[in-house]
Amino acid sequence: MTTTTLRPRRGPTRTGIQLSRRTGMVFVLPALLLFVVFIAYPLFTALSYSFFGWTGINRGEFVWFDNYVTLFTKLPYRDDIPNAFFHNILLFAGAMVFQNTIGLTLASLLHRRKRFKRFFQTMITMPYLVSPLVIGYLWSLMLSPLFGPVNATLRAVGLGDAAQPWLGNPSTAIWVVVFVTAWQWVGFPVLLYGAALGGIPEEINEAASLDGATAWQRFYTITFPMLVPAIGTVSVLTFIGAMEAFPIPYALGGSMGNPAGATDVLSLLFYRTAFESGSSNAIGTSSAIATLLFLFIFGVAMFITWFMRRAERKIF
Amino acid sequence: MRRRILTTTAIAAVIALALSACAPSSSSNDTGSGDDVTLKVWSWRTEDIEAYNRIFDIFEEQNPGITVEFEAFQNTEYNQILTTGLAGSDGPDVPMVRAYGQLQPNIEAGQLEPIDGKVDGLDAIAPSVIAGAQGKADGKTYAVPLATQTLQMFYNKAIFKEQGLSVPTTWDEFISVNDKLNAADITPMALGAKDDWMLPIFADIVGSARYGGSEFEAKMLAGTTDFNDPDYVASLQIISDLEKYMTPDVVGVSYTDSQIQFTSGQAAQFPGGSFEIGTFRTQAPDLDFGSYQVPLPPQAVSDTPVSPGFSDGNFAINSASTNKDAAFTLLNWLATAEFGQLVADELNQFSAIPGVTYGDAVMQEAWTNYEAGQAPYLLLVDFRYGEPLGTAVLGTQVQRMFLGDTDAAGAAATLQEGISQWFTPGE
Repeated sequence: MTTTTLRPRRGPTRTGIQLSRRTGMVFVLPALLLFVVFIAYPLFTALSYSFFGWTGINRGEFVWFDNYVTLFTKLPYRDDIPNAFFHNILLFAGAMVFQNTIGLTLASLLHRRKRFKRFFQTMITMPYLVSPLVIGYLWSLMLSPLFGPVNATLRAVGLGDAAQPWLGNPSTAIWVVVFVTAWQWVGFPVLLYGAALGGIPEEINEAASLDGATAWQRFYTITFPMLVPAIGTVSVLTFIGAMEAFPIPYALGGSMGNPAGATDVLSLLFYRTAFESGSSNAIGTSSAIATLLFLFIFGVAMFITWFMRRAERKIF
Repeated sequence: MRRRILTTTAIAAVIALALSACAPSSSSNDTGSGDDVTLKVWSWRTEDIEAYNRIFDIFEEQNPGITVEFEAFQNTEYNQILTTGLAGSDGPDVPMVRAYGQLQPNIEAGQLEPIDGKVDGLDAIAPSVIAGAQGKADGKTYAVPLATQTLQMFYNKAIFKEQGLSVPTTWDEFISVNDKLNAADITPMALGAKDDWMLPIFADIVGSARYGGSEFEAKMLAGTTDFNDPDYVASLQIISDLEKYMTPDVVGVSYTDSQIQFTSGQAAQFPGGSFEIGTFRTQAPDLDFGSYQVPLPPQAVSDTPVSPGFSDGNFAINSASTNKDAAFTLLNWLATAEFGQLVADELNQFSAIPGVTYGDAVMQEAWTNYEAGQAPYLLLVDFRYGEPLGTAVLGTQVQRMFLGDTDAAGAAATLQEGISQWFTPGE
């Protein structure tokens, strides 16, 4: 295809087409441009904002790390940040334990089904298509202690003692957020694990059963190791989702993470700092929160990816 | 390899969203000059669009050549939209702006035009209300106050009649009314304690007279007392004492749930702002309700029962507006008694302009009570000028009181600790 190859690549690529580096750059350029304009630029702008003092939208002096120091020394941040961060971690742990194990179980159950497989997959994935804000509001109505059908049902079947002010009790409220999030997103691991299960060659399982392996042995020594790459992807995306959780906590507990901060998460803190605090330095402080959140998510996500990749290498 | 790219791209894309929420957006240029001037007016009152259009029709008739284009945005998104609008060049000429502390960022950023001496009738407005339109640092006036909100106890007249109750005038009567309602299996008070912002309102409705309203405000501002004052602590104690007159686990009840409780007749009383009147009328047109000021609690500092009040919303002029002359014409009109009366008749709000009468009996009753005994809604009027906001701190603290995690003294101490981070008396 190319005649004037300046620096030929090492042998033909899989497609057999050879491209010069310069031609390659031309193809990359549009995507790169979009990335720079819409992602890299705002990202670095926010980073730079966090090092300035602000008066409304007017940028003031360069203040080094003052905004970051504020986050750890001044009220309400020094109390709210650890509290919100802890809840983000709970959301992640909860999603890993409930959402992803249930997702894997459902995917395994569906994997062998011939009939209704598509139907169940669609049903399970359906909530995923509804806006999380809508889902949050629906659940907050269902869980209302006065008019909600959940408590009414519990009372009707004689479980009145189990009826709770689910969203009014700090010890249950955060678990409601975990549950509602899992309810909405469980279709996601089902799809990913379903695809990964479909990719495991049947012969291996057949050979193992001929050798007398039990179903559990087959799952533990064949299926599970072969799912590790999928587990890695699901873990990373679950982590990012949990750290950035916003619409469902907002719909269930409002921007203050009610009651008494029991459903507060870092994105809510960012939101109310940026848009509700009325503080003239709102841009500086909220940019600092966003930057810290970014660095933490980026760092941990990279670590999980590295860790899972190492685990994969050990297995294969 | 492909998976790595996918994962990395996903990480980058998802994270970038969080950061880009911080970045400013630019907006296109447009110049609206010509013989006829079009004024863009922005507001967060999406529910009042038709009423405002009728109001501005009257203004347009009186001022040929000026057309008012009224646009309303979702209340919860408004601050953000306005900040972006004022920063760009296609923002409003006359924006509705928040009051008191929440107005300061716009003033400090130089986005609003000072109006002292250019708008008539500002002198007639109550000082605590006009304070909501002034810059804390420079003392200049930047806006015309639109509405006053008053806080009081609403009650369901039908339930009171059925139970043989009358409006309490002493604290003992107040307690006995609530006891009787409890005995009759009617929730005495509907309170949406899940929504923290409701709680400082409730605290002032039942407690303002106990700590001494305006008198206490003056002492706080002068620095001769703080929130650890025994009178203030005692006012918060009242909240705990009244908990037995609410739904069990009241912290699980949302604001909207509490409105339904009251409008559906499940609860007999609703401590709330005058902004509820319109909502109650819409939700339950047949509801027969009235309002009263909570009687003086024992050892109250104030001599008379009070309705705490505050200014709610102002109209200002965008300093980047290219139609300032027309904008001042509009603002002058917004400060007239004629507009004040339209606020009462069309918007069902208390006007900030004196000399307005209210056709709605419930409004007239609440206004008469307010004029007989007023106090500032203290945490909103004076303690939202820095972080943390006084209202936000007390809201969470009252929830903790209901949950049994703290007591009145602890809540007051936390409030004092929070506001002393930015509040220096005497400034």
